[in-house]
Amino acid sequence: MDLLRGRRSGNGNIKKLLAKAPQIDQRTRKKLTNKGVSIFSYCFRILILLAIGYIIIYPLFYMIVTSLRDKQSYYTAATVWIPTSINPGFNYAKAIYSMRLWEGLTNTFVLEIVAALIEVVTCAIAAYGFARFKFKFKGLLMAGLFMTILIPETMIIIPRMVNYSKMDFFGILGLFDMLTGIDLRPNIIGSPLAFYLPSLFAMGLRSGILIFIYIQFFKGLPYELEEAAWVDGAGPVRTFVSIAVPSSGVVFITVIVFSIIWHWNDTVLASVYVKGNYPLSVHLERINMTLAGQGFYSSNVETQSILMAACFLFIIPMLVFYMILQRWFIESIDRVGITG
Amino acid sequence: MNKDKDLINENTPLEEETEAATEENTAVAEPEVTEETAAEEAVVAEAEAEPVFEGFAVAARAANAPPPAFKPSKKKKYRSIENLKSRYGIMFTMPWIIGFVIFFAWPLIQSIWFSFCDVTLSKDGVVTKFTGLDNYNYFLNVHGEYDKWLSAALTSILYSLPIILLVSLVLALLLNQKFRGRLFFRALYFIPVIIATGVVVDLMFMTTSDELTAAGVSLGITDSMFSIEDVIGWLDMPDQVAKYVKLIINNIFDLLWSCGIQTVLFIAGLQAIPRSLYEASKVEGATKWEEFWFITFPMLGSVTLLVSVFTMVELFTSENNTLVERAYAMMDNGVFDESSTMLWIYFVAVGAVMGILKSF
Repeated sequence: MDLLRGRRSGNGNIKKLLAKAPQIDQRTRKKLTNKGVSIFSYCFRILILLAIGYIIIYPLFYMIVTSLRDKQSYYTAATVWIPTSINPGFNYAKAIYSMRLWEGLTNTFVLEIVAALIEVVTCAIAAYGFARFKFKFKGLLMAGLFMTILIPETMIIIPRMVNYSKMDFFGILGLFDMLTGIDLRPNIIGSPLAFYLPSLFAMGLRSGILIFIYIQFFKGLPYELEEAAWVDGAGPVRTFVSIAVPSSGVVFITVIVFSIIWHWNDTVLASVYVKGNYPLSVHLERINMTLAGQGFYSSNVETQSILMAACFLFIIPMLVFYMILQRWFIESIDRVGITG
Repeated sequence: MNKDKDLINENTPLEEETEAATEENTAVAEPEVTEETAAEEAVVAEAEAEPVFEGFAVAARAANAPPPAFKPSKKKKYRSIENLKSRYGIMFTMPWIIGFVIFFAWPLIQSIWFSFCDVTLSKDGVVTKFTGLDNYNYFLNVHGEYDKWLSAALTSILYSLPIILLVSLVLALLLNQKFRGRLFFRALYFIPVIIATGVVVDLMFMTTSDELTAAGVSLGITDSMFSIEDVIGWLDMPDQVAKYVKLIINNIFDLLWSCGIQTVLFIAGLQAIPRSLYEASKVEGATKWEEFWFITFPMLGSVTLLVSVFTMVELFTSENNTLVERAYAMMDNGVFDESSTMLWIYFVAVGAVMGILKSF
């Protein structure tokens, strides 16, 4: 009821205007005063949303329920939602053991999360340069930026791997090697540098799209503030750090969420550039093989439970992260104008 | 020279001329040359203006001319603010430019080169031997199975793309409106964004997709009533459509879960449409349906392009398809040439399909 009241009071102004404008016909009047919208359509919308929401949330419930199930419960047909017998201890212990949870977590934090945070900062700097300044060849560089979005990382992963085994900057170290015979080119495959270096140069995991989001946002920021700082004698770095960054918390939240989640879930780069100390995602990807090695083949019913337990363990940190940031993240989406 | 120019500038009688000159000074990227020409112009202007009332010119200068301190300084380093800013722009983008060359452009060229070569590994890195189109010829004519992988990959992209676009657009429209409980539903609907970009989805849906669908859609209560096949039978669909619908329903969870980020992008796009358009259409008496077709849909054009490109790239790199999987397996075994060729044929094919779709 108070929903309807809200609508009525909100339309007070329109009603007053309509009283003064008799030429507007009945159909338009009705629409303007929102009389057609009732509690019925509200319920209808909620029902649709709930139905789709059910489909979206269903796999998550399925994951949790399955991860709790005991082997016995697979043989009773009545089990749909509430398992007849549960054995979470066994499933989770097996999952933790075979996905090497603690080792994987440490590696994920050392490699992926640090790289993600570096990427967030460097992408912001590059995007600020693109959004705020005019310079030669800017059009060409923007075309390059779009190419990094369009061409998937898959295409260049092979030469990158070859290059990483003898890391070189513009052939300088190679020239040094030719002249003196001392090979200084480091092999960065297997070291965290393989993740940090691209991130440091704003070329990390899907940096292109992050830069694009930043550019769209920075372009929308009122320029007057920065101009004022400029006139007051602040240099470009000072302007960026103390004017642009504090007023773009919204876009930082969005980018941090995306970057960390993409890095957390990444398996392709991690399995190519890392040797040995794999992050959690790679361990999870290979859990089928690990389990088969312990005698749990995918044909066994309890393997399913262990798999789902492992999946749930893998997403818990991201779920918590999302719970903490979701209020800002959801609101920020409205305000980060990605207009393409 | 500098002092001379200063004098000339100060003595210029017509304010407009000086302004034009300074504007040229600041706007053009190569000040070395332009300053001279500007100075020459100023001289000409002075010569022309000499006979005009001196007193008037002085008055005009007194009224309008900026104080000398604000004049662009003639030191080489700080020639103009535009110039400075372009320097700062390059300073800010420099890390990206270096990264672009080292980590993107060069590997890209190498990758194209590898695809035309016979690549062998040695102590000093890779040794390439140019073989022309042999690799391409091998995959397109000799290999036999490659066609199947390629067509499977393309079909899966083609059937997923429209449905993902449609579903994410509908979700975005639903979530964009103001109603009670909007925040709750948004939080709920964005959960796939968090989870669905990775290995979890692959693991869940590779092993359990059929089971999930069976449990969620057709089994259970509905089992005793009707199944998907029955519905398709009643509606009397053509075979192709029926096949498509069945494919979608069988993958409904997978598809819905890959809509997360697309929905986010669409919502951002919807927010960018100016409210005034809707108000105007309301006053004109447009229905909601007309509002959607004549305002929302056209205004979303660029976002739709962005989303479809993003979705394409996502689907392209998804590890579920055989082709990419094989390429990675070959790469792990040190076969760099043929895996590059495989990926490039695939990329060109996808690019061609994208081009065709875009032309519609």
